[in-house]
Amino acid sequence: MSNILFKEPVFRLWGYNPPSLMATYESIHARLEKGGPLLLDGALGTELVRRGVRWRKHGLLTDADKVQQLHADYAAAGADVLRTNTFQLNPRIFLNVFRNREHMRHIGAPGLEDLTPKLIRTSVELVRQARAQAGREGQAAIAGVISPLEHCFRPDLAPPPEQAAREYAALARSFAEAQVDFLLLESMNNLAGARAALAAGRGAGLPVWVSFVLGPEGELLSREPLEPAVKEMEKGGADAVLVNCAPPEDVTRALGRMKKVCARPFGGFAHIGRFSPPSWKFEFFPQFTDTQEWPPERYASEAERWREQGASILGGCCGTTPAHIAALRAHLGSNGRERSS
Amino acid sequence: MSYAGIRDKLARQQTVILDGAIGTEILRRNVTWADHQLANRPEVVRGIHEDYIRAGADVISTNSFQLCRRALYNHFRDEAHRRHIGARDLDERADKLLAASVRLAVEARARAGAPRPVAVAAAVTTLEWCFRPDLAPSADEARREYREIFQVMKDAGADLVLLETVNSIGEARAALEVAKSLGLPCWVSFVCDEKGLLFTGETLAQATAALEPLGADAILLNCAPPDDITAGMKELAPHVRVPFGAYPHIGRFDPPEWMFTDEYPPARYREVAGRWKEMGARILGGCCGTTPDHIAALRTLP
Repeated sequence: MSNILFKEPVFRLWGYNPPSLMATYESIHARLEKGGPLLLDGALGTELVRRGVRWRKHGLLTDADKVQQLHADYAAAGADVLRTNTFQLNPRIFLNVFRNREHMRHIGAPGLEDLTPKLIRTSVELVRQARAQAGREGQAAIAGVISPLEHCFRPDLAPPPEQAAREYAALARSFAEAQVDFLLLESMNNLAGARAALAAGRGAGLPVWVSFVLGPEGELLSREPLEPAVKEMEKGGADAVLVNCAPPEDVTRALGRMKKVCARPFGGFAHIGRFSPPSWKFEFFPQFTDTQEWPPERYASEAERWREQGASILGGCCGTTPAHIAALRAHLGSNGRERSS
Repeated sequence: MSYAGIRDKLARQQTVILDGAIGTEILRRNVTWADHQLANRPEVVRGIHEDYIRAGADVISTNSFQLCRRALYNHFRDEAHRRHIGARDLDERADKLLAASVRLAVEARARAGAPRPVAVAAAVTTLEWCFRPDLAPSADEARREYREIFQVMKDAGADLVLLETVNSIGEARAALEVAKSLGLPCWVSFVCDEKGLLFTGETLAQATAALEPLGADAILLNCAPPDDITAGMKELAPHVRVPFGAYPHIGRFDPPEWMFTDEYPPARYREVAGRWKEMGARILGGCCGTTPDHIAALRTLP
C-alpha cells in the first residue's frame, strides 16, 4: 500500500509537485514561447560507444558512471534539455530475439521481462545526478526519451496502433513515475506510431515534444508527408515538433518547410557521419563512422541556418559530442540570447 | 580438402569433436562482440580457435554467426535509405568479414599444428534471426543469399558448411542444396524445443527424411539447453541414417550478451554428452557458454 503513494500520478492528485521539477519545465516552456532558442544535448549512444562503453542494456547497469559523466558533460556544455539514455529501449528489444515469451523464460536470463521499467528508472536517476553534478538544477530540464517500438529505421515493422498504444502507455507511465520534466518522442518513423505515443504521453500527464526521423526523400521515414504530420502533432497537444536523425542539410531543408506550417515551437537535431550497423541482428546499435566530416564549428554554422528558418530548439543526434553542443552554445550566445555580433 | 579425415573418422564410427562457443567466448575474454571482432581484434578470434584445437577439436567453426549482407541491410528502411545515411563500406563488408572469419580459422589451424586432421567449418545460421522462423525469407531469396555466403567462404578455404541453429526444414533445404551444388560437405544443425521439435513444430523425423536424400553429411542439434537436446536426440536417433550429434548451450541468453552460469562445469557437461554418445551420437561439441575446458572434457570420453 505504501508503495503506491510514491508513484507520481498520486502525488500530482494530492497537489504535491516537486517545485523545482515543475518549475524547470515551466521556465523552459516560457523561453520557448518567447522564441527560444533552447539547446538540446547531443548524442548519447554513439558517444558512449566512442568512449569505450560495451553496448549492453545501454550501459545503464555496467557503465553507470560513464553514462552520468556524459550527461554532466552535456550539462556543462550548456544544454537546456538533458535526454535520458533510453533510445530504442523497450521490452521488445529483449523479447524480439526469442521465439516467444515462453522461450525467453526458458533460456533467457532471469528478469528480462521486468527489466525495461528498471532501466528507465536508472536512466532518469543518472540524468538527475549528472544535472546536480554540473550545478544545473532548476535550469536544465530532463526529457524522457521514447522512440519507435521496433527498429527506428523500419517503419514496416511497427506494431498495430492499438498494440502500440498499450506499449507506449506503459513506457510513458514509467517515465512519469520517475518524474521526468517532459517526454521527447524521438525518431518517430510513422504517423500512427507518433499519434499513439503522443496520446500515451499526454495520458501520463506529461508535456510531450515529438520528433520525426526523416527519410531520404525529406518526408517521414514511412514516406508520409511531413507537413500534415507536424500539424497533427500540434493539434494532438505536442508542445513542440522536431525532426532528427537525418544529415544536417536534410534537417535544414525540413525546417524550411516546417516554418510555413508550424504554429508552435519547432526545431531539429541532426546526425553526423554514417550509420554503421552491427554484423549481428539486434536492436539499433549506436555506431556512426566518418563523423569527422562534421566538426563542431561546421555543425554550429549549419545550425545557424536552422535558427534562420525559425527553429527554436536545436541539438545533436547520433555522432555529435559535447564539443558540438558547446559550439552551438557559443553560436547561440549564453542564456539563450543570440550572439550580438 | 581437410574434410576427408573427418569423413573417415565418422565412417569408422569414431567420435568427432566439434569446437565450443566463439561469440560468448569472446565476451568471456572481456572483449566486445561488436562486428564479430574480425577486423579489430583478429588475434582474439584466432586465439580462441587455437585454444579449441589444442583442447581437442577436430572441427573448428568460423566466427560468422549471423554474419551476412541481410543482417547489415536490415538496419535500414531500404537501399535508398542505406545509401543516404549508411556507412560507405556496407556493400562489401559482409563478404570481407566472412572471408576474414575463414582466414583466421585456417591460420589458427596452421599455428596450432595439431597432429590430426582438423577441418574448418563455415558456420552459417538462418538469414533472419535464428529463433524466429516467422521472419524467414522465401526459398528463392534464401538460395541466392546462401550461394553468395558459401561461395565467399569456400573461396577463403572452408572445408565444409555447418548450418547451425536452423529453425525450419524449408530453410535447411534451401541452404543444403546450395552447399552441395558448390561441392561443399554440409552438416545441418537444428535448434529444438523442450519437446524435441523444431521451432516450426516440424519433427526431426521429417527433417531427416527431407535432408538425407539431398546429401546432408550429418544432422545435429544445437543452441538449446542440454535437457532439450536430449529430448531432440530421442526424436532424431531412431530415424537418422547419417552421422549425428549435438552441441548444446549452457548458461542463459542475456541479450545482447550471455549470462554464464556454473550449472554445467566441464565434468557434468562430459557426463551428459556421454549419454548422447550412448544414443549413437558421433559429433559432440559446444554452443553458447561453452569454453575450451568443456571441449577438452569431451575429448576424454571413452
